[in-house]
Amino acid sequence: MTDTTQPVIEACELVVEYGKGAQARRAVDGVSFAVQAGECVGFIGANGAGKSTTLKTLMGFIFAQSGGARIFGLPPGAVESRRRIGYLPEVALYYPFMKARELLELYGGLHGMTRAQLREKIPPMLERVGLGERGEELLKSYSKGMQQRLGIAQALIADPEALIFDELSSGLDPIGRHDLRRVLLELKSKGRTIFFSSHELTEVEALCDRVIMIHQGRIVTQKPVAELLKPLNLFEIRFADINGELPTEVKEFNPARQGSEWTLRLDDLERYTRALDALRRSGCEVRGARSLTQSLEDYFISLVEEARS
Amino acid sequence: MISLRGVFLIAKSVLIEAVRRREIYVIVLAASLLIGMVMSIDFFDIKGLTKFYRETALKVMGMATAATVIVLAARQLPREFERRTIYPLMARPISRLTFIAGKLLGVMFSAVFCFALFMLIFVFGTWRLGGEIPWGLFLQHIYLQLLMLLILATLSFWLSMLMNFDAALTVGALFYFSAAFASTVILYLYDSSGTLFRWFLLAVNYGIPQLTLFDLSGKAVHAQAWEPLSFSVMAQLTAYGLSFAVIYFAFATICFRRRPL
Repeated sequence: MTDTTQPVIEACELVVEYGKGAQARRAVDGVSFAVQAGECVGFIGANGAGKSTTLKTLMGFIFAQSGGARIFGLPPGAVESRRRIGYLPEVALYYPFMKARELLELYGGLHGMTRAQLREKIPPMLERVGLGERGEELLKSYSKGMQQRLGIAQALIADPEALIFDELSSGLDPIGRHDLRRVLLELKSKGRTIFFSSHELTEVEALCDRVIMIHQGRIVTQKPVAELLKPLNLFEIRFADINGELPTEVKEFNPARQGSEWTLRLDDLERYTRALDALRRSGCEVRGARSLTQSLEDYFISLVEEARS
Repeated sequence: MISLRGVFLIAKSVLIEAVRRREIYVIVLAASLLIGMVMSIDFFDIKGLTKFYRETALKVMGMATAATVIVLAARQLPREFERRTIYPLMARPISRLTFIAGKLLGVMFSAVFCFALFMLIFVFGTWRLGGEIPWGLFLQHIYLQLLMLLILATLSFWLSMLMNFDAALTVGALFYFSAAFASTVILYLYDSSGTLFRWFLLAVNYGIPQLTLFDLSGKAVHAQAWEPLSFSVMAQLTAYGLSFAVIYFAFATICFRRRPL
């Protein structure tokens, strides 16, 4: 099992370049980070920031010019480390002339699973990713979203200790994303290590313990998600009026109508408390009140803009 | 290192694709039509027609299977990159050697499948024309052809590591078709050449496999005049063919080992 004293995934001053000589382009520039056992870490960055290159280097698909990486304490691409990893590539396409069941038999078999294990695991796995009734169809008839679901199934088939997902929810519809989130939360609760890149920052916010942000090949921040979601000193109240009438003492806070409800946005705590009191006194039904926090998306955009300027 | 189960699983996936795609059947159908046309020609007496049929059928079978193998082998790796299927595959606990050996075995399984289809047509055609198959020479011919296909497959694999699919296919096909007369051309040039060029010709002669050595179609057709090859000749031909296949495979493996995916 996982040795909890050493990081599951580790990169140290990793440098990866594409091209040679004068045309060499540095895609990853001195990246260092570590993912501990049982952590769920999001790897975010704009397009071309170096996310996929870093993940491919960790998997041993491409080679670093300098620096190093270790997976379970082993060099990238080591057969023994890959035995313990499930990987989802950025663009998931699978052999069009195979069936989903056959594909999982191939991948599971390469992971050393026996025929009996495969027979037992494949149907529930296909069910789990929403492909239960499509297992005997050729993959050429699969949509992009279905291919992505199958990609998740292939990554999970051997019940790996760690998961590396490149562009987690690419091509999935909202239901697919919801299903995927459920699967990942389940894996997280089982103590699996999850490291994934995604453009869906709400997903990262909901799932991850920590976020690593990369921009132009360099890590710009790596912090716990809770630390990034700081309060904005902004408050919001949602309420319903009485018989279509808005009490005068509430009107002074300038509420805005949103469908059948009213919303109040207040920029200091004192006004927020006064507004809540006024609503209670006038008999309005308060449906929600919260302190607004900076989203991961806001933070990400501010960081990227800062880096650009 | 190498995982035998991994090799077989990858080979099986290659065979599944080869069987489910229509290319092999199109090649077999086209070749069968050609052979069928030969059978329908009626200007020989029946004995002559059987020989003509056998000779044409064996040549067409050999060429069509060689073309299939060159295409299949040359496109394995480029297609893996094109579809990006190489990533989920290479994320498994298998070495690059296992991957490439599996692909090669899969191509050879497909070659055997293609050859088996041709054999059925050949045996049926010979039976329809009332001829007899010289089984000893015929089986030796099939064995040597498979050995030749192994050389072509390993060469095409290696070429596909060095160049794109189209170029690998062209060079592989040129190699196959020129191998038939390369030794004859070398023989002609040898006598009229200077010392240095003779050394070069000798190097080419020994460096390129003589694919004509693996073709017993002529002997199989004129079986009355030929006995099956002796065990020692077959062993020498096997060693000769395998040595080229091993060399090409080793080159392909070395190229693939440090190739970024």
